[in-house]
Amino acid sequence: MAGAANIMRFAAMGTRVELHRFCGGADDALAAARRAIEAVDDALTIHRPSPATAMNEALLAGRPAALDDELLFRAVEAAADGHAATKGLFDVAADLRTGTRWSMIAFDRAARRIAAERPIALDFGGFGKGFALDRASAALREAGVRSALLTAGESSITVIGEHPLGGPWPFSIPHPEQPDAELLVVELCDQALSISATVGAGTRAPERAAIVDPRSGSPVEVPACAVSIESNGTLAEIMSTALLVADRKAAQCLLRDGAGRRFHFDLRSTSELPRKCA
Amino acid sequence: MSDQAFDLTRRSFLDRVLMATAGAGVAAAAPWAVSAASAASAAPMAPATGDRVRLGVIGTGDRGRALIRNIAKSRNCTVAAICDKFAPHLTKAREIVGANVPAFADHRAMLDARGIDALVIATPLNQHARHAANGFDAGLHVWCEKAMARTIADCGAIITRSRAANKVLQIGHQRMFHPTYLNALKRVKAGDIGEITQVRASWHRNNSWRRPVPAGTDDRHINWRLYRESSAGLMTELATHQLQVGNWFLDAVPTRVIGSGSICFWKDGREVYDHVALIYEYSGGRKFIYTSLLNNARYGCEEQIQGSKGTIEPELGRIYAEVPPKVLALQRMHQDVARGSKRTVPIGGATWFPELPVTTPGDSLGWGEYDETMLQFEGFGEAVRSGKPLPGLLAQAYRASVASLLGEQAMDRGEAMTWPTSLVEV
Repeated sequence: MAGAANIMRFAAMGTRVELHRFCGGADDALAAARRAIEAVDDALTIHRPSPATAMNEALLAGRPAALDDELLFRAVEAAADGHAATKGLFDVAADLRTGTRWSMIAFDRAARRIAAERPIALDFGGFGKGFALDRASAALREAGVRSALLTAGESSITVIGEHPLGGPWPFSIPHPEQPDAELLVVELCDQALSISATVGAGTRAPERAAIVDPRSGSPVEVPACAVSIESNGTLAEIMSTALLVADRKAAQCLLRDGAGRRFHFDLRSTSELPRKCA
Repeated sequence: MSDQAFDLTRRSFLDRVLMATAGAGVAAAAPWAVSAASAASAAPMAPATGDRVRLGVIGTGDRGRALIRNIAKSRNCTVAAICDKFAPHLTKAREIVGANVPAFADHRAMLDARGIDALVIATPLNQHARHAANGFDAGLHVWCEKAMARTIADCGAIITRSRAANKVLQIGHQRMFHPTYLNALKRVKAGDIGEITQVRASWHRNNSWRRPVPAGTDDRHINWRLYRESSAGLMTELATHQLQVGNWFLDAVPTRVIGSGSICFWKDGREVYDHVALIYEYSGGRKFIYTSLLNNARYGCEEQIQGSKGTIEPELGRIYAEVPPKVLALQRMHQDVARGSKRTVPIGGATWFPELPVTTPGDSLGWGEYDETMLQFEGFGEAVRSGKPLPGLLAQAYRASVASLLGEQAMDRGEAMTWPTSLVEV
């Protein structure tokens, strides 16, 4: 059932979003998914007035911020969980210029308040894309969609159900700097995929901040690529980022816990990669 | 450079021009170059001194002296008199031409002295019309620096005067003889960059454009480009060249122009804009977009001739093919599913493909090492001898000058100016 009515493309979250519906659901399902993504964009953007901007202004001024916006609260909550789950490797407060990190933040879930011991600003970055895809896929499922693919850029992908022709969705992931070389082939079914890299065209985007190791406060400069397949987009983004900043020991732990789903490529040693078939 | 080496370079230059203009489409679009190069190529390598067209140069400032040097390289023209009312400029010119060439402080005295066949005018813009008229009245042919005149009316008046006198009028637009531009035109006519819908041009410098004023003269004489009485500033002194290129490559004249000008950085008493930004509209929605400024030189002087299949940057001498768009993996996946085929989806490249300037190196258009200004004068020399102007050149020059002055009006008035309907037929 391929056709224009089943595809929606638009710009959001600072990238190109594509929603592809293959099976099930009403005709307006994609519109609902789009609204869900745009709502997350409106809540989390730091490039125009938003609940996130207001929160950051308060934190930068040394004031606590009330997380009245539901989406922002849920995002902060997920970011806090991600920080804990990765033992501090995933950190939306890490800032190369100011040396800030999540440990300087006091987050009160019950009171829905956040405060910081010094001026700080949160940047949800790629995490926001996974978070938005989760909201969109929830909207699609609610609308009865049984097979769909959602992307925010090409590095954040969520699939609902099986491939329209049955079985898992096969994806090949290219080397970030050698588009004709294949790093990995993966298969997804009702899962989310996140790809993070320290090199490649995506890292040259305007306003793209360097990936920072929150423990050292230094940028991650080793050419590397991390791939994570998780049950949802938020977790996939958290884990791919954590893998990228992890040292060898921490990476081994993450890879062991996600064997077959998480991958880390040191691109200094992948010069002989297989070429993709035309 | 030895005479032999010079001859070889000259021959190579002429060959390049002839090769570039060989096609019917190019020959029709640059008939002046075909005519000038053909005549120069057929002419004897070193005609006798007495066979040369004798030129009297009025205005021997920097530009006038550059012209004198180029005239000296030509094989059919010679500088037979020089004139400038500012003695230091005249002295410098005399050092180039030698003491045997008569020098005058008053151009009328030079005209009265006879002994020249044509006048070369390199004086401030507001004097072009008067000096040209004086030349025609004296029975001389006229070569005049661009822009033609300070007003649109005077541009037309010079043409009318030349016709009444039955004398050749040629305006200095050296790009019209440059092999790189001619090669660019050839590539356009061959369809290599597709349909041209826009020319984006700039001439950006980072200097005040103000010259020191020596003793014995005054600011308005030396820095005439900065004052409205004598110049339209960036429009007539720089933009004219590029407007000619725009009209030439778009094969039309603008229908109207809008623009904004300001004295934005050099607030030193000048009267002409140091920042100009204009859009010239052409039929079919095509545009020539122009900026010129005097406090940032990064983008320098260039014309970007933009077509659906490629871009030409003649100042850099490069032609660039458009980079074909990436085939989107998800688009392909949909096609696969529609025909029941399941293939691995190549995805996961850059999250965001920056639409930054494409930095592909492009290909060379060919570079003319020889000075094309020389060919202008060889062409002028042939025109003087035959009494027939180089075909098509005056129309290009006239329209470029009108476009530059119309742009000035658009900026001064803050309103769109439509192409004049009362121009002289050329």
